[in-house]
Amino acid sequence: MTGLPLPFVQVLQVLTVVVGAPAVSGFIAWFEARLQGRRGPRILQPYFDLAKFFSKETLAPVGAGPFFRLAPVVSLACYLTVPMLIPVLTSYPLPLGYMGDILGGGLILAFASFVIAVAAAETGDSYAQLASSRAKTFAAITEPVMLLVVFAVALITTTDLPYVLGATVRSGPDQIVRPAHLLASAALFMVILYETGRIPVETHTGTTEFGMIETGRPFEHSGPDLALLHWGSAAKQLVLYVIFLNVFVAPWGMASTTHPLDVALAIPALLGKAALLGCAIAVLDNSFAKLRLFKITEFVSAALLLSVLAVFTLYLGGG
Amino acid sequence: MSALAVSQTVPTVFDGIANTVAVVVLLLEFGMLRATLLRSQVRLYAGQSLAVSVLAAVVAYGRDVPELYALAVLSLLLKVVVVPLVVLALLRDAHAEIAGSGALGVANQVLVAIGVTAFGFFSVGVLRIHSSVLPTTALSLSVAVVLVAFVLMIMRRDVVSQAIGFFSLENGVSLASLVVAAGMPLILEVAFLFDLLVAVVVFGVLMRTHHRRTRSLSTETLDRLRG
Repeated sequence: MTGLPLPFVQVLQVLTVVVGAPAVSGFIAWFEARLQGRRGPRILQPYFDLAKFFSKETLAPVGAGPFFRLAPVVSLACYLTVPMLIPVLTSYPLPLGYMGDILGGGLILAFASFVIAVAAAETGDSYAQLASSRAKTFAAITEPVMLLVVFAVALITTTDLPYVLGATVRSGPDQIVRPAHLLASAALFMVILYETGRIPVETHTGTTEFGMIETGRPFEHSGPDLALLHWGSAAKQLVLYVIFLNVFVAPWGMASTTHPLDVALAIPALLGKAALLGCAIAVLDNSFAKLRLFKITEFVSAALLLSVLAVFTLYLGGG
Repeated sequence: MSALAVSQTVPTVFDGIANTVAVVVLLLEFGMLRATLLRSQVRLYAGQSLAVSVLAAVVAYGRDVPELYALAVLSLLLKVVVVPLVVLALLRDAHAEIAGSGALGVANQVLVAIGVTAFGFFSVGVLRIHSSVLPTTALSLSVAVVLVAFVLMIMRRDVVSQAIGFFSLENGVSLASLVVAAGMPLILEVAFLFDLLVAVVVFGVLMRTHHRRTRSLSTETLDRLRG
């Protein structure tokens, strides 16, 4: 049987993320509700929400510039560019996979968040501006952590391509138990908790404006624009989970050939892994309280400690 | 600069596990530095002692040094059970829950401790001490544990944190002794453990006396002159 053409697999990676992301968000919301003894929303609820928003009209505040309308589209486009660079379904590199490395992917994600912040600043709404200013402040202090994680990866694999690290981790148990790998993965996990607005940093479904960072930015958006932003943040969450799972922690269950069955099986495997990670995050959500805003630096300093130690142990030759 | 060159050799599974346990010891030391509740500080100390005992057992298993099993069990009994229970009992008498604030904020303390750790790491790294039992990284980590314990004792302004800092310093030293002298006669190791018991008694007396005289565990009142 002939294999699938590579460009098709590449497109399929993006489609998996764009279609699967709301389901992962919905699953986490449902599981969290079950943990709290509530029945919770349907797992497919995010799709219904998106459909509802798309059928409404878009309103823009008076005086908002072109960025306000552009930002949702541009940010979603950014979030859907990253799945081309990272191993979503296949363990072998795809044609566009060498277009950018981990830093390139990080840059695109940061650009998307910057565009949303600019759009929030254009509205004149104080809460949206507060949230985007906070998001940028804390992004600046989580950035060194990300850089050190990338350094650790580069020292382990001598490249910074996500496919190579995944292959390195698969190569044997000695690569898994080395402290540099474990520390870098833990630091990345803490950054992901920050980036996806989970509990030690922010209440994901909170309605108190003063505690909002990521979720406060689309306050003034409505209708299809808001739908695109919600969809974008779900896609960003799935993209970060994919990086964490398929590159760092569990690069198994991906297609190793272009055989259609292999590739088709990789999709439920990926969504299953993401759901498991979501369960872990929901448990964390339920067992910790939200940090006060000024305590977030302590959270980030812990992540920084982990990533610094990862690089140190590598330099000592024992990592 | 050769000490800073990254070696491309991947550590074996045994080395990796040993290094990871040693890293856990260091991370728990940082946890003590951050903890605000005295009780959680004591718990972290118990966890750290557990990690050291586990490392002794790992070395005993991986390198076939059976007397280290005895050491692991002894230090488990003493440092994971007895010492934390004694300190918790003292705390219960003192009715103090929250540690006094440190000389710096938590994030700054961690940054200072990271700098100190870097110093410990690289100053030991250039010594090129090779051990047949454990990788050199574990030695650097143990020096880092000792230095961070010093930071803990210097920065915190309460007797309990300082006592815990001292006890965890002993953990760092026993980690170092596992690296350089795993084959050390058991009687010496046991003597170290009993040294720790003496320290516990001394710190216990100190805590009680201090609490009776100043009605708090904080050392801040000590720099005030009294007529």
